[in-house]
Amino acid sequence: MAAPEVHHLFHHAIADHSFSADRQTLAVTRDNVIDLYQRSGKTFQLKDELTGHDKTVTGVDIAPNSGKIVTCSQDRNAYVWEPSPQGWKPTLVLLRINRAATCVRWAPSETKFAVGSGARLIPVCYFEEEDNWWVSKHVKKPIRSTITTVAWHPNSVLLAAGSTDGHARVFSSFIKGVDARPEPSAWGERLPFNTVCGEFLNNTAGWIHSVAFSPSGNALAFAAHDSSLTVVYPSAPEQPPRAVISISTQLLPFMSLVWSSEDEIIAAGYNCEAYRFQGSDGGWQLAGSLEAKSRPGLSDQREESALNMFRNMDLKGKTSDDTKLKTVHQNTINTIRSFQESGGKVTKISSSGVDGRVVVWNV
Amino acid sequence: MVCQAASDHHWQAPPHYDSRHDGIAGGRPRTTQCAFQRTTTSSRELPGGAFTMSQSLRPYLQCVRSSLTAALSLSNFASQASERHNVPEIEAASSPEVILNPLTVSRNENEKVYIEPSINSVRISIKIKQADEIEHILVHKFTRFLTQRAEAFFILRRKPVKGYDISFLITNFHTEEMLKHKLVDFIIQFMEEVDKEISEMKLFLNARARFVAESFLTPFD
Amino acid sequence: MATLNWRTINVDALDPDSPANFDLSSLTPAVAPASTADVQSLAGQIRQLLRGGDSEGALQGALESAPYGADERGKEIHLATVIEILQSIRQSDMSPILSRIYSSPGGTEALDVLMKYIYKGMSQTQTSSTTRNLTPQATGFSQVHARGGGEGGGQAMSVLLSWHEKLVEIAGPGSIVRVMTDRRTV
Repeated sequence: MAAPEVHHLFHHAIADHSFSADRQTLAVTRDNVIDLYQRSGKTFQLKDELTGHDKTVTGVDIAPNSGKIVTCSQDRNAYVWEPSPQGWKPTLVLLRINRAATCVRWAPSETKFAVGSGARLIPVCYFEEEDNWWVSKHVKKPIRSTITTVAWHPNSVLLAAGSTDGHARVFSSFIKGVDARPEPSAWGERLPFNTVCGEFLNNTAGWIHSVAFSPSGNALAFAAHDSSLTVVYPSAPEQPPRAVISISTQLLPFMSLVWSSEDEIIAAGYNCEAYRFQGSDGGWQLAGSLEAKSRPGLSDQREESALNMFRNMDLKGKTSDDTKLKTVHQNTINTIRSFQESGGKVTKISSSGVDGRVVVWNV
Repeated sequence: MVCQAASDHHWQAPPHYDSRHDGIAGGRPRTTQCAFQRTTTSSRELPGGAFTMSQSLRPYLQCVRSSLTAALSLSNFASQASERHNVPEIEAASSPEVILNPLTVSRNENEKVYIEPSINSVRISIKIKQADEIEHILVHKFTRFLTQRAEAFFILRRKPVKGYDISFLITNFHTEEMLKHKLVDFIIQFMEEVDKEISEMKLFLNARARFVAESFLTPFD
Repeated sequence: MATLNWRTINVDALDPDSPANFDLSSLTPAVAPASTADVQSLAGQIRQLLRGGDSEGALQGALESAPYGADERGKEIHLATVIEILQSIRQSDMSPILSRIYSSPGGTEALDVLMKYIYKGMSQTQTSSTTRNLTPQATGFSQVHARGGGEGGGQAMSVLLSWHEKLVEIAGPGSIVRVMTDRRTV
C-alpha cells in the first residue's frame, strides 16, 4: 500500500477541510479565517485567505460542481463565497440563529445546504432568486441540544443530523420549488419539511460526533462519544428499522466517518488514526487500522523504572523520547472525507486534525 | 500533648541557665525535642513505607493515566446558554447533557484523583498524600505556592475543588495547543514528583530541626 | 419577601426551554425497576456460586444482572457483592477470566459494567474509617496512627487498581469512555 500523502500546513487545529472537485484547491479552517491552498507539484501553497468571520470557523464545504464555498462559524453566521474578478465575494446567509453554527454541508444537488447550530435547530438554506440572497428554513422539532454534525442523503431531501442529546436523526428537508419530489424510499414516502424519518439512541448514550448515509442512501451510520459506531438499516416508512448494529469498540471515540462502499466504513477520531469497519446488515466488525501494521506494540508506554529514568535524564536530559506518536496524525483527527472515487467506491480519503495536518490515504 | 509532656520531663535548666531568656529559650528545646523524636519514627518507617509505595504506586498512576486518556477526548463546543461564548462546560455547568459522569481513582483514602469530564473541558483534582501534620502543612504551602502562580501554569486551576489539594482545568484549547499525551504525562509526572517533593521537604525540615537543636544544645553539654 | 435577593435567582432554572433544564432521562434507555429485596436475593444466589468455587460464574452473573433500576441501597448491596467477588479472585486468574467474558456474547457490555463497578468502588473510600486525627498543634505525631492497618482502605483499592489495569488491557480505553457517557449508573 502506498504511503499516505502528508501535508503539514500549520500548527493549529483544523476543524474542517474540503477539497475542490479537481483536487487542486484545498480549503481549511484556521481559527477565524479559511485558508485556500493550491496544489503545486507535491505540496500545497497558500493562495488565498477568506476573512469575515469573527469567531472560530467550524465548517467549510466546497460545492463540487459550482465551486462555491460555504463556511460557518461560532459567530452565528454562515457565508457563501463565490469567485469573482476581485477575488472571493462573500454573501451573508440569513441563518436566523442565536447560537454558534457548528457544521455545514452542501446538499448533493448544490441548491441548498444545511447548517448545524447550538440553537437546537438546523437551518436549511436555499437561494431566493427574487431577493438575491440565501434564506433558511428551520428544522426544529425534536432536537433538544446542539447539532454537532449533518450529512445528506444522495436524494438531497433527506438530512441526517447528530446532536449532543445523544440522538442521530433523519429529517426531511423538502423545500417546494427547490427540490424535485423524491422517490419513496425505506426512509419514507411522503416527506413534508421537518418530517422525522428516524431517531436513534445508543444505550450508552454518548453525544454524536458524525453521521453518514451509505452511498445508496439505504443505511445510516453514526459515531458517538461512547466509542461506538452504529449502522441502521431502515425497513419501511413508519416501521422500526430492519437492523440496528452497534459496535462498542475498545478505542477512543471516533470524530468522523465516511462510507468507502456499501459494506465498508472508515472512521477516525481521538485515536489519531483511521480504522476500517466491514460488514453488512448481518453484522459489522472492526477490520483494523489504515496505517501500516509494522509498528511496535503500545505496551512500551508503561511507567519507566527509576534507574532508566535517571540514566536517560543523565544522557539526554529527558526521560525518554515519547513526544512523537507512532501515528501519522499527532493529535485528534477532526474530519475525514472522500478524496477520490472510482466505480462507486472511495479509493482515497483525506483527513485533517488538531495537529494542523491534512493527509491523503489510500483505502 | 505527648510531646510536651515528654520534653518537660527531660528538660532541666542547667546551672548557668539565664532566666532572662526564659521565654525564648524555654520554648525552643521543646520543639527540638519533638523534632528528634519525629526523625526517629520517620526513619524507622521510611523503608517499609517506600516499599509498599513502589508496589502500589504503579497501578495507581497507570489507572490515572488511562482514565485521563479517555477523559481528555475534548472538542470545541460553543456555549448553548450564552451566545458567542465558548466556556468550559464543566465550570459553567449550564448544559447537563454535555457533562459526563465523574471518575474517581483512589489508592487509599488519602490519595485520590477526581476526574470530572465534559465535552470541552476536564477538571482533575488531586488529593496528595498527607500522613501527618507536617506533611499537611507542607502540602498546603506547596499547592498555595503553585496556585498563586496559576497563570504561568496554563492548566492549573486557581482554587482546588473541595476535598482536594490541587485542581487542574484542561480545556479543548489546551489539548489543541499541546499534545494530549504529553498533558497526560505532565499530570502523572506531577503526581510522582509532588510526593517526592513533600517527603524531601519533610526530610529537610527534620534535618534542619535536628541541626538547630544540636547547635542550640551544644553549650549545655 | 423583602429579604429575597433578586440578583441571586437563577433565571435559567425557571425557563423550561433553557439548556440548563435538559431532561437527562431522555438519554437513559428504559431500565427495569428492581427492589432492594430483589437485589438482596440475587446477592444471595451469587454468593452461593462464589462459595461453590465458581467465582467466574458469579462475576458473570453479577455483571449481567446489574440493577440499574434499583435505589441507592440496592445499588450498594450489589456493589458490595461485586467487590467481594473481585477480592476472591487471585491476581493470576484475572486476565484469563476477563478475556473469557470478553469473548462471550454480550461480553463488551459485561466488561463495561465491571468498569463501572471498579470506578464506583474506588469512589467509596470516604465512608471508610477516618483515622486521621489532626491535632490543633502541628506535632507531626499522628503519623504513628495513620500508618497502622492497611492505610485506610488501601488494600481494597489495590485490588481494584489491579483489576482496572487488567481490564483496560482487554477492553481498552473505550470502556472507560462508556463509563463516563452511560447515564445508567450502577
